[in-house]
Amino acid sequence: MYYKMTLEDKVRVPPNRLGEDLEKVILDVLQEQLEGSITKEIGIYIAVTKVLNIGQGELIPGDGAIYYDVRFEALVLRLALQEVIEGQVVETTGFGAFVSLGPIDAMLHVSQISDDYISYDEKNARLICQESKRYIAVGDGIRARVVALSLNEREPRESKIGLTMRQSGLGTGRWLEEELEREKERGAAHGGA
Amino acid sequence: MESYTRYERARIIGARALQLSMGAPLLINTVYTEPLEIALEEFEHGVIPITVKRK
Repeated sequence: MYYKMTLEDKVRVPPNRLGEDLEKVILDVLQEQLEGSITKEIGIYIAVTKVLNIGQGELIPGDGAIYYDVRFEALVLRLALQEVIEGQVVETTGFGAFVSLGPIDAMLHVSQISDDYISYDEKNARLICQESKRYIAVGDGIRARVVALSLNEREPRESKIGLTMRQSGLGTGRWLEEELEREKERGAAHGGA
Repeated sequence: MESYTRYERARIIGARALQLSMGAPLLINTVYTEPLEIALEEFEHGVIPITVKRK
């Protein structure tokens, strides 16, 4: 889920930027430092939006920079296990599909796509369900559940997020529409009887 | 201007000289080129934006 958070941190303002507007410098430093980074407790930083409050600066021996206590507002994505999320397929391979969740990509393994047998159509870059003939292609919007979460704070790109679609209500937009249609037909048949 | 002990004076001028040497903008017009000399002159003029927190 996405959160708009108010956070506090110490910010180092380098001396060569002292002549400029302090609020702007601090916002720059925070954006440079945090955007795209990951912490386990907070999540994935997407943007630092606003500086709310700048405390008194402090000088530390041996460093010409000034350290300010700053309260600021940031937009973060914090994923939780079992959370249902929506994303877009950005790449398909023989072992599954990569799904973009916005700031980070997640992995949807072939074994977690459907109860069907899945085969990979290399020419069209599609993963095809053998029985139902449904398929997943690059660009499809999907709804899936987070089942594995391994965030790497040092190397955000090395983080691994596993998804599943083997549950009712999960799948690509097209599957969900088909499912809804079927559901409606069944409902109508029951109503008539 | 507030009066400082010689230790505080050294700390303030030292910190300011380091800032200047790392590229901080000058607060006075000066003929000096050495950060330490500039810091001393700024201190004499009382324009250094540094205060001492006494415990």
